[in-house]
Amino acid sequence: MVDVGAASGGVWKSTDGTTTFQPVFDKQPVQSIGAITVDPTQRKIVWVGTGESWTRNSVSIGNGVYRSADGGETWQHMGLSESERITRILIHPADSNTVYVCAPGKLWSDSAERGLFKTSDGGQTWSQVLKGPNLSTGCGALSMDPKDPNVLFASLWDFRRQGWTFRSGGEGPTAKSGSGLFRTADGGATWTEVGLGAKGFGPKPFGRIEVEIAPSNPDIVYAVVESTRSALFRSSDGGTTWEERDRSQSMVWRPFYFSNLVVDPKNAERVFKMNLNLIVSDDGGKSFTGAGGSAHGDWHDLWIDPDNTQTILGGDDAGLWLSMNGGTLWHKNHNLPISQFYHVSVDDQSPYQVYGGLQDNTSWIGDSQYPGGISNSRWEALPGGDGFWVFSDPADPNYVYFESQGGALVRIHRKTLQQRDIQPKSDRAGEKLRFNWNAPLHLSPNEKGTLYIGAQFLFRTRDQGQTWERISPDLTTNDPAKQKQEQSGGITVDNSAAEQHTTIYSISESPVRPSMIWVGTDDGNVQLTVDGGDTWRNTAGAIKDVPKASWVSWVEASPHDADVAFVTLDRHTFGDMEPHAYMTRDAGKSWARIASKAQGVRGYAHVIKQDPVNANVLYLGTELGLFVSIDQGRHWAEFKGDNFPAVAVRDLVIHPRDHDLVVATHGRGIWIIDDLTPVRSLGPDVLGSEVAFVPGRAEIQQIQAFGGWPVGDAMFFGENPSGDIVINYFQKSRHLFGKLKLEVFDAEGKLVDTLPASKRRGMNRVSWAMRGKPPRVPMGATISFAATQGLRHLPGDYTLRMTKNGQVYERKIHIGMDPKATYSLEDRKAQHAAATEVQRLFERMSSLNDRIVGLRDQARSKAAGLPEADRQRKALLALGESADALRKKIVATTEGGAITGEERLREHTDALYAAIVFWEAVQGLTI
Amino acid sequence: MIRLRLIAGCCLLLSTSFAQAIDADELIRKNIDARGGMAAIKALKSVALTGKFRGGGGFEADYAERIGRPSLLRQEFSIQGMTQIQAYDGKEAWQISPFGGRKDPDKLPEDIRKSMETRADVEGPLVDYASKGHRVAYLGTEDVDGTEAHKLKVLLKNGNEMTYYFDPDFFLEIRVQSKEFVRGSEQESETDLGDYEQHGGVFFPTAIDSGAKGSSSDEKAKIEVTTIEVNVELDPAQFAFPANSPKS
Repeated sequence: MVDVGAASGGVWKSTDGTTTFQPVFDKQPVQSIGAITVDPTQRKIVWVGTGESWTRNSVSIGNGVYRSADGGETWQHMGLSESERITRILIHPADSNTVYVCAPGKLWSDSAERGLFKTSDGGQTWSQVLKGPNLSTGCGALSMDPKDPNVLFASLWDFRRQGWTFRSGGEGPTAKSGSGLFRTADGGATWTEVGLGAKGFGPKPFGRIEVEIAPSNPDIVYAVVESTRSALFRSSDGGTTWEERDRSQSMVWRPFYFSNLVVDPKNAERVFKMNLNLIVSDDGGKSFTGAGGSAHGDWHDLWIDPDNTQTILGGDDAGLWLSMNGGTLWHKNHNLPISQFYHVSVDDQSPYQVYGGLQDNTSWIGDSQYPGGISNSRWEALPGGDGFWVFSDPADPNYVYFESQGGALVRIHRKTLQQRDIQPKSDRAGEKLRFNWNAPLHLSPNEKGTLYIGAQFLFRTRDQGQTWERISPDLTTNDPAKQKQEQSGGITVDNSAAEQHTTIYSISESPVRPSMIWVGTDDGNVQLTVDGGDTWRNTAGAIKDVPKASWVSWVEASPHDADVAFVTLDRHTFGDMEPHAYMTRDAGKSWARIASKAQGVRGYAHVIKQDPVNANVLYLGTELGLFVSIDQGRHWAEFKGDNFPAVAVRDLVIHPRDHDLVVATHGRGIWIIDDLTPVRSLGPDVLGSEVAFVPGRAEIQQIQAFGGWPVGDAMFFGENPSGDIVINYFQKSRHLFGKLKLEVFDAEGKLVDTLPASKRRGMNRVSWAMRGKPPRVPMGATISFAATQGLRHLPGDYTLRMTKNGQVYERKIHIGMDPKATYSLEDRKAQHAAATEVQRLFERMSSLNDRIVGLRDQARSKAAGLPEADRQRKALLALGESADALRKKIVATTEGGAITGEERLREHTDALYAAIVFWEAVQGLTI
Repeated sequence: MIRLRLIAGCCLLLSTSFAQAIDADELIRKNIDARGGMAAIKALKSVALTGKFRGGGGFEADYAERIGRPSLLRQEFSIQGMTQIQAYDGKEAWQISPFGGRKDPDKLPEDIRKSMETRADVEGPLVDYASKGHRVAYLGTEDVDGTEAHKLKVLLKNGNEMTYYFDPDFFLEIRVQSKEFVRGSEQESETDLGDYEQHGGVFFPTAIDSGAKGSSSDEKAKIEVTTIEVNVELDPAQFAFPANSPKS
């Protein structure tokens, strides 16, 4: 059994040693996981702390602790709702009701629910047993003495992130900080600060401190301490005195992200430290060497098998890894779909491809469908960095635009993989272009080859990035107080572009009027030009009831009306986790709020899109899910589908040809809702009816394609859309009693199929394969494989008829040819006629075979009734044998299960049938 | 790439009715009543079902199933005049898989026998569950495609597990998930049930869609039951491992 917590993708459980995983936390309202702990005495009791504690700029949020008593099948929320994030949960080894929760607390704002919490009644009540001196200090680390569970070390960590800065410790390297390391010997009743004095960690202030007691010798304790002299410390007397050990760069780098220590369960001198690369010391921390092999890096956690310490599971920014040789080499698990996308786009290929950029995992291009399923091998990685915006060049599909962090932009040739840096640079001395970590790149919806990128200025290229023009002044507040990233980090400076601020964050050129361009900035401006960039107007002041400087996470020009636009404001960087979405109908002169917590929308808002066909339909992505409105934001419904979790939705794109909604989640990969057409038809008339057929996209009979090959069970496969005709209908209530009959009639009114109807409440989809009955074939030793399939009916006009509780509902549909087909409808008719002729051959063969078998059996039966010496008996037996010999010329009859290779008339006919049925372009064939 | 179903999400645009809390025994009582009542279920001696099996891509087979007391089960899938049989006589489970050219019966292993043993209970495991050695636990409600269904876990005596989801208004099963153990490893499956019809005073589902746990409707194989006969005479020989191999 293996439980895995994803940074923003829920909890996954494997019961087969990581070969396969199932998500077990998807019904819960948050998906960011900070800690998982299995009860040491009762395997089925699992505690989960929500909210990742490695507090990078893109980190999600949690809402407290959960407990499962049945191995993850059901969960109970156990409180600490305001903790936002949890680092570690430890359970008393002899008392399952005693549990400690280490909660750093809120990242973006002050809060009281942070520190170390303890329950003695299984989570019914909690007491805060260790708290910081201020409202920005929480628990950073926790370790329990394996021999005396009343002895614990816990660190306090003072930290805060804002949109433009971060601190671990105080406001600077020497500023006052609430951080420190503490020890209790009475289960948290009293605490003593350790690491002070001459044999301590050196002078305060401290930042993040990680602490770990060696499981095999609790006198040995390790602590990595962030300070102006960051280092690893080792105590050999249970934390009373400490000795400085390694203080290489690996102890300095990004303590807020890389502090975790894991000590070998058997060897107290072997300690792993999570770092950019995984490192390990075999001499108690005096020296370290790399242990990450060829794994991705940015490590966060390890589990070492206590029975065989060569077996290690590890988690880093690329997922889950397994080492069978103590961390020298690593095997990657390809079965956890927990990727964190920032953005997504699509191209116009058929089937289209999906393009998306991933947190710390570059950008990828993948198939939206592929015969046999979309395996990981159907995804192609582009080179380098964190991935953000990535587009196929609409002017030349041989190229893609690929953007990594800080606006780094290249144009890559898809086949040769040559790339050219096309990021605009400043040509003015001393001027710094401020590109956001997630700088916006925007393709013109009106002009191929035109794209925009935003720094503090808006840049436009009309020649695919060869040259750029600056088409705006600084559109931000240009607030110098928010431009001190070189001092960001608190004790340890950390200026990776993640805190770059006063930048343009969102761009949208009106699809209706190309001269209108909207720009949203991370410091609260919503700028509009109506003249292609000559003049600009900040419309943010017209957004009422929201504080200034709110992060404009999305701006979207309506595809229907030039005066209509939408913005989402993301205020989570100020501690406000509620959704804010606004709509203007007068080009920004006024804005009306259209999404709020009161409307049932949860989570801070990332993206809003208006349906390109039905202007009333809106799609909203927030940190906690996907929401849809069919009345321009007066009402919203959370879109759960079958199984969509409350994961962050960072970007949405509607495929203009196929009408699919492609969803970029930050934690659960790419999802596709096939065909939004039925959603567009939802209104009071449909929702008020008992049953209603609703239209789907234009139906085509897709070409038959074959692919895929076994790659084992430890592989994620994306599901394909239905290759059949999809029938959409709405039911007001679940159908429970009596037959729900769904019939298909051809243009002549002939019944061609009766389908198993879907019974769900709400929207239903049923796939119709368009196959008729398979031919009757003479029975042989084995099955006649191709003949198990019927012919596909021809494209054309059909009528759907549903009968429910005596009521009849009908809808006519037209099924066209697949544009990818290399044959005409006339070809199809010829193929259909040929296949029908083969079916007749099968029928004649079957009838003949029936008669022969009948004759054989009759002869044998009569012979059996005659005396052995009877002459007629011999003749009858001979007749039976002759008949059977004839049968054996028609069908293969050798039984036993071996590969007989026996080919008779039936087998040849089956091969002929297969050749015709599975290639529908047969021409000029006569039989 | 993951396909997100359009279907259930739009239910949320409708008003939602909430299932009332209930305990396991009360839920089982309501289910038994909904199925036709204890007397009618106890009066069932046997059930014979026939219908159509549909796999993906339009593949079809004829389907037949017979279940009888005390613990008899026989399932048949027929194509091109050949019939695949899986059967259980209360002791042994066996099968004939003729499609590859071999029509001899084969014994089935203990893990499959356990699964068939559960299906061979004509009244279902919830009836007299305690005396059968099963344990039950009510797990609250959970959304099943837009229906907030009651969830009941059944720990079977043989070690396998079933999770029932009951319609909150009519208390009939709309989904059953099974967790079975194959050489110690969990294997989970899911069956959606609907189109209930009453025969012999008992309601039976006539739409049975089965697949892996969490599979979509398209991914599930579908059985449409077209005839149901109750209390038909069953020949015990049909369920016992054949003494002689059948004729070709």
